[in-house]
Amino acid sequence: MSLKPRAVNFEEVWGDLVETVQQVVTMGSIKRSVWNTRFSDVYSLCVAFPEPLAERLYTETKKLLENHVRQLYFEVEEQSEENLLAEYHRFWIQFSKGTQYLNHLYSYLNSQHIQKQKFSDADLTYGSMQMDMSEQLLEIGELGLEIWQREMIRPLQKRLVGVLLMGIQQDRTATATDAPTSTIRGVIHSFVDVNMYKKKSTLQLYESIFEGALLRETGSFYRKEASALLQDCNVSQYMECVIARLAEEELRATKFLPPSSHQRVVKEVQDRMVADHLATVHAETGSMVSAERTRDLSNMYTLLRPVPNGLTVLVHHVKDHIKQQGLQAVTSLKGDNIPAQFVESLLEVHKKYRTMIMDVFHNDQQFVGALDKAFESVVNHRGNTKVVCRSPELLARYCDTLLKKSTKGLNESEVDDKLGHSITIFKYIDDKDVFQKFYARMLAKRLIQQQSQSMDSEEAMINKLKQACGYEYTSKLHRMFTDMSVSSDLNQKFNEFLKSKGKTHELGINFSINVLQAGAWPLGQTSITPFAVPQELEKSVQTFETFYHSHFSGRKLTWLHHLCQGELKVSHSKRTYLITMSTFQMAMLLMFEKVDSLTCNELQTHTHLNDEQFNKFLQSLLDSKLLMTDGEELRGETVVRLNTDYSNKRTKFKISVAPQREQQHEAEQTHSAVEEDRKLYLQAAIVRIMKARKLLKHTMLIQEVISQSRARFAPQIPMIKKCIEQGSVVGLQDEEWASVAYQAEKIHLFALIPLSLDYALSSTQFSVIPRESKTCAQLATVFVKNLISSTQSTSF
Amino acid sequence: MSNDVEIQEGEAENNTSDSQKPEKMFTLKKWNAVAMWSWDVECDTCAICRVQVMDACLRCQGENKQDDCVVIWGECNHSFHNCCMSLWVKQNNRCPLCQQEWSVQRVGK
Repeated sequence: MSLKPRAVNFEEVWGDLVETVQQVVTMGSIKRSVWNTRFSDVYSLCVAFPEPLAERLYTETKKLLENHVRQLYFEVEEQSEENLLAEYHRFWIQFSKGTQYLNHLYSYLNSQHIQKQKFSDADLTYGSMQMDMSEQLLEIGELGLEIWQREMIRPLQKRLVGVLLMGIQQDRTATATDAPTSTIRGVIHSFVDVNMYKKKSTLQLYESIFEGALLRETGSFYRKEASALLQDCNVSQYMECVIARLAEEELRATKFLPPSSHQRVVKEVQDRMVADHLATVHAETGSMVSAERTRDLSNMYTLLRPVPNGLTVLVHHVKDHIKQQGLQAVTSLKGDNIPAQFVESLLEVHKKYRTMIMDVFHNDQQFVGALDKAFESVVNHRGNTKVVCRSPELLARYCDTLLKKSTKGLNESEVDDKLGHSITIFKYIDDKDVFQKFYARMLAKRLIQQQSQSMDSEEAMINKLKQACGYEYTSKLHRMFTDMSVSSDLNQKFNEFLKSKGKTHELGINFSINVLQAGAWPLGQTSITPFAVPQELEKSVQTFETFYHSHFSGRKLTWLHHLCQGELKVSHSKRTYLITMSTFQMAMLLMFEKVDSLTCNELQTHTHLNDEQFNKFLQSLLDSKLLMTDGEELRGETVVRLNTDYSNKRTKFKISVAPQREQQHEAEQTHSAVEEDRKLYLQAAIVRIMKARKLLKHTMLIQEVISQSRARFAPQIPMIKKCIEQGSVVGLQDEEWASVAYQAEKIHLFALIPLSLDYALSSTQFSVIPRESKTCAQLATVFVKNLISSTQSTSF
Repeated sequence: MSNDVEIQEGEAENNTSDSQKPEKMFTLKKWNAVAMWSWDVECDTCAICRVQVMDACLRCQGENKQDDCVVIWGECNHSFHNCCMSLWVKQNNRCPLCQQEWSVQRVGK
């Protein structure tokens, strides 16, 4: 067969074609050979000579399809409601398949004749407004579906939708459905598929005739359902029902509807059953949270999460509840070891709610945030505003007990675990600087008295703090560590030095020393007292000083005798004891070598100790029963005797000085030291900010200071204000800058004024002007005005 | 007051035999001393950078070289951070405090 165009008798060829087309659209059987020839028929009609007959072929086919669909419509239309869907569905399947084949059969017509005059994608996207879509020729497949939509769906639309909704309703109430699921689904999808050739808005028909109605229907069904359920069950049961309903409805959506609708249907149910009854659910939230009914809370979370702002009330209640629980756990602590009780009970509460948030609220950020907020307020809680918050101190003491040598028998990994957990609490502390001060003091004590359980744990803890707060926060702690290792090095070298010098330099005692760097160690200055070094130690002191000065230059050593400790072999009674004690105690005992009794006066003159220290250490010896007096009171002439009947069942022990009283004292000292540091920190922050900003509103300056210092402590606003005011007078006078307040147009502005300008003006024009004087303020005003006009900032 | 009692009871017998010798009543066995070192300076702050000489100068603090920041003394006995002074003498070879010609007396170690 030739492909050359030739004259064709349309009627003749069409006559053959019609038969096949009818077979195709009804899915009848066609012989392969016939099917094959029909392709060439379509081709020959399209390329017919002298005139191509494509247009005629198109109109005839269209007419044919229209007639066919109309005929089908009459058949469907006659059906009763029960059979309507089934019949429609049967014809739809048949017809949609048929047109697909037909589309193939006409592919030459489609590609050569129709696509040429069809609008391109670009036309559709950019210029389709003026084009008349109905005039357009359609590909045969699309044409078929278009006709189906026009001749079948449109006239039947009302009835079809009615029956479909009925079917879905029946499915909801679980009564037997008239039509099987697949039919309902098929019919619904036919609304979508009928537009499958369209390039855009394929869902338009479906959405306009069916989805809207379905959502309305769904809404009203669940509105009734919700109020019925609320009539006879409580919120807890109600939530269970709603969750079940939602799951069912989601399943139903996947069963019947195209994917685009799933979300919408579920949302409709949520709106009707949850969002509309938010108040009812919220009313129960408080009691559910305080009773910690996890299942209900989990349900509530599931239901409220998709609702905008639905969770706010729940989050709020959870926060309050955790806060309350936390406070309950820590406010009424009594008895021994309060630091451990405090930290461990806080951690317990934290862990409990952490797991609860994980299990019940799926680690939702809002709840994690609520936990953090709640804990922040628990940890930083103060009974009243007058007292300081004890948490930083308690936490530091807790760490101290963990890191100290003890008999508790925790192994290293347990200690590390506990320290790791304490970081959790540490992160909530506002006054991190207070913690730092306490921690540093206790660390110093541990290091000097060699009480650390393990250096690895110590270092690990410092690294944890560094991670949480940055390098600067722990730099002093690190310096203390460095001193320790430098000292052990030094001891080794000193011993070698002694060996090399031979017998003449033998010290006669086992000597070791820690040399600390001044400024790096938080050692209180209060315990420093004049002291005469006992003869037995003089040689050691001198030898070491010579050694040290030969080793370093430009340094001076100060002996901290109140921190030194010695071991004394005591054999004045029946047994011999090895007693560890402080140097002061040692000095006093050594005086009894030759005599059995001495007066207080003699003791004190000899040792040169000041009254406070003398009484403290003498009392400790009396308490240890090594020495004794006749009276209770210690006066100058009181005679102190050596207790020759002394006995102790241990032969190696340690005498220490009352720690309790010192603790209280230490805490006060630490807090006042912190206060001083804060002032400096705030002033530094003010200068930093002002150097960068040049000009700032008073309130903005305060805001910035707060945000800069938040990592260390929560500054009190009056304190900041005081620092700002003082800035111009005291703290910053030595600096290059001085700050001056300036009142312009009712806005309190702040600027730093270069001191050089101030000096220059005052030295040339005026003789010596006190900085606070009026003239100076005027100069400042001029400067600030210039600054304002030069910055030209609109924000002021 | 508390007697912190710890460890080892068994030594008692051995020690009684020791004490029969004519021996001193109190013998010092061991001394763990603690001392503090500081630069031997007249003024605690470095006049150039205004930081305490015991702390590193700002430059070294910023570059995290605290351990290397030592003190230098001039013949006039005035002292500064070594790093501060080495920058200073590039501009002006006089002591910032007394204006005498700067010459190094010693460097801290």
